[in-house]
Amino acid sequence: MEIDVKKEGQAVIIALTGRMDAVSAPQFDKTVDDFIDQGETQILIDFKSLEYISSAGLQSILALAKRLEPINGAVILSDLNGAVKEVFEISGFSSIFPIYDNLDAAKASI
Amino acid sequence: MSLLHIILPAKMDNLATFIQALSKWLKQHGMAAEKIPRVQLAVEEALVNIIRYGAYEGQAGDVELRGGIADDQRFVIEILDSGIPFDVYTLPKPDIHCSIKDRKVGGLGVFLIQRMVDELLYRREGDKNVLTMFICRNNGRSSGSRQDMHAGA
Repeated sequence: MEIDVKKEGQAVIIALTGRMDAVSAPQFDKTVDDFIDQGETQILIDFKSLEYISSAGLQSILALAKRLEPINGAVILSDLNGAVKEVFEISGFSSIFPIYDNLDAAKASI
Repeated sequence: MSLLHIILPAKMDNLATFIQALSKWLKQHGMAAEKIPRVQLAVEEALVNIIRYGAYEGQAGDVELRGGIADDQRFVIEILDSGIPFDVYTLPKPDIHCSIKDRKVGGLGVFLIQRMVDELLYRREGDKNVLTMFICRNNGRSSGSRQDMHAGA
């Protein structure tokens, strides 16, 4: 999995490419932990180029949200497709996270 | 060659090898392309549970992945390990409707497996856990729509 990060205004935008599985999810954990340690609280994750996610990936996203909740942070998701979208729906994650159709709409929500 | 058979130590480093071999085999044998990620997910979840929670008294045991064609509509995939007995049907169902605060991290793997396959069976055979998955080749579509090509040959 590739992780591309940029800071835009108040938000950290993390674009994921490839596969978020049990092997690659810890990379994501490390990336977001570093940003939270630096004081970032608004994390936007762009799923446009992510083609696969397993429960390890879902756990990472949930752990991130749990970490941000007590510090009034937010995890905002955009552009879920195909197998990734299906896994979010099946697991109930679609109803607990703010999800936008595209990155611009997600940015506008912050 | 219609069977898939891989045995490797139960280590996270081997996950990609299992998944790549599985995907190649499924493709070669005509699994619908849009179903391949579903099978990958079911198999990854099963393997990760074994790697993380299967107890091998301090050393990594092996995991065996077998694939075969069950009948003209279905693939069968079996995953065997000699860790502690792990009956997937004894696990509680995750609560998928609660808030972020109350939502448990974890406990989704088996739930996802059940949703990705058409039939899931567990048995303990000797000192092994055997998880059997049946997966339909297509998304409930008829495979009999191909035209007879002889006339144009």
